[in-house]
Amino acid sequence: GAGLQPAAVAGAQHWRGAERSRCGRGAPGPARAMLAAARGALRLLPRGRAGAGSALLSSQLSWTINFRGNHWQTSMLAFQASLPMRAEPRKKKKVDPRREQVQKDRMKKKIKKMEKAAQEMIPIEDFVTPFKFLDASRVRAISLLSFEESERRALLLKKWALYKQKEHEAEMETLKSLMAAQQEALEELRLESEELYQAAIRRDEDLFPLEKEGPSYTPQIPGYEAPEGNASILPKCTHSEIRRLFHTAGRRYSVH
Amino acid sequence: MARWRGALWSRGHKMAAPMQRALCGGAVRWRWVLGPRWLSASAAPRWRLVGALCLQRPPSITQALSPEQEEMAQLVQQIEVEKSNFSDHEIRRLTEEEQLQKRKDNTHDEEADSGQAIVLAQDLEDAWEQKFQQFKAGPRITDADKRNDRTSLNRKLDRNLMLLVKEKVGNQELWLLPQAEWQAGETLRSTAERALATLSGNCIQAKFLGNAPCGLYKYKFPRAFRTEESVGAKIFFFKALLQSGDLLQAERRDYVWVSKGELGDYLKPDYLTQVNRFLMDH
Repeated sequence: GAGLQPAAVAGAQHWRGAERSRCGRGAPGPARAMLAAARGALRLLPRGRAGAGSALLSSQLSWTINFRGNHWQTSMLAFQASLPMRAEPRKKKKVDPRREQVQKDRMKKKIKKMEKAAQEMIPIEDFVTPFKFLDASRVRAISLLSFEESERRALLLKKWALYKQKEHEAEMETLKSLMAAQQEALEELRLESEELYQAAIRRDEDLFPLEKEGPSYTPQIPGYEAPEGNASILPKCTHSEIRRLFHTAGRRYSVH
Repeated sequence: MARWRGALWSRGHKMAAPMQRALCGGAVRWRWVLGPRWLSASAAPRWRLVGALCLQRPPSITQALSPEQEEMAQLVQQIEVEKSNFSDHEIRRLTEEEQLQKRKDNTHDEEADSGQAIVLAQDLEDAWEQKFQQFKAGPRITDADKRNDRTSLNRKLDRNLMLLVKEKVGNQELWLLPQAEWQAGETLRSTAERALATLSGNCIQAKFLGNAPCGLYKYKFPRAFRTEESVGAKIFFFKALLQSGDLLQAERRDYVWVSKGELGDYLKPDYLTQVNRFLMDH
């Protein structure tokens, strides 16, 4: 009990002296705070208790000895936060970081080598005409067109170009009319009520995905059962394989 | 909720009297000065809001090719055949024809005959043709087309069909798109959905194409019907695609499903011009 105090006081004095010699005039703030905290800690220390006192004595000694020698300990009260108490068990200190670093370097080197090497192209089998189709016996006899036939074709192409132009113009007009009608409707709605307008221009989340069957040449026969198809036409590659192949950019792949 | 008038937005407002235009024009500039005085001084006409439904049955078959398209399709097919090589089936057929020819001329070899196929390419083609003839496709021109039954949904399978109903407006019976008056607390799209529900009694499933109206028809009531609150009505049209269901179960007799070309038989001219603006095909 009584022995604690002189040591603590001596420590405080030693601390104060050290503060003056180190800090000088710079940054008295934190040092003063720490001093106040240390003084508060001293007052809070129970006197004459054996069990707790011994632990506190050793911690007192640690902070008197290790004062500000390490930057991990920013608060005098945080005894447990000083370096020796905070580190993990140091069984594999030097070997592991170095080994991991070496492994990482090896991987990086391998990757660089692979990238530098010329990328092999996997040929797409569909783009290569099989030899049996290049046979000369397959070639159709080209009968030259008569003058009338070639004239008819040329005139038909011109007529077609004009037809498609008119069709395109008509489509564009229809679309413009559609958009203008909607714009006008929205403007008039805005004149009436701002909140209705805001509700109208809000995006409709339930609209997509929208699935709709397109038109066929003949209508569906109700209750018709289609005959079985030919299984050998199916591709040998599964869907997920095809997707995986096509996800990598810059490479050509074949579908077997 | 106070109605907000943005006078700058009105372009070609047929209803705006010159007096009102000057008032609004002046008011816009001096709005900040006059404040509430401007709001109360405006003699803005009030319009009833109506949500209408443009329910369309999409086509299930393709339209017939026009003569130009037919010609061009034939030409393209011709050119494609000319530029192609022989296929396996064609080569097989050509060799078999040669062999048949040789046998006719009696110049064939007895030994080569033993390895000949029993089924000729020609036989295969005949079998395929037979099978095709046996298949009966659905008719492109249905019975409803022949009878011109306009209440049927099976008519004109290559066009969009729209629903029209006959309703009493004011003191006359008119053909128009199904509509319902807007009530406070709902959006105009839900007004259109309500119109569909009251009309069909939940028999019809339709997919609405977005929250925004596709068109507008604005009209003023006859003098007799005008009140302080309403000078006329604004009908906002909403497009929807028919997914399933029909009006056969509903308790309604005076409805038709018509294509765009037949709308003129039913709708009034002004209404028709406005409706035609947001319809796509013929």
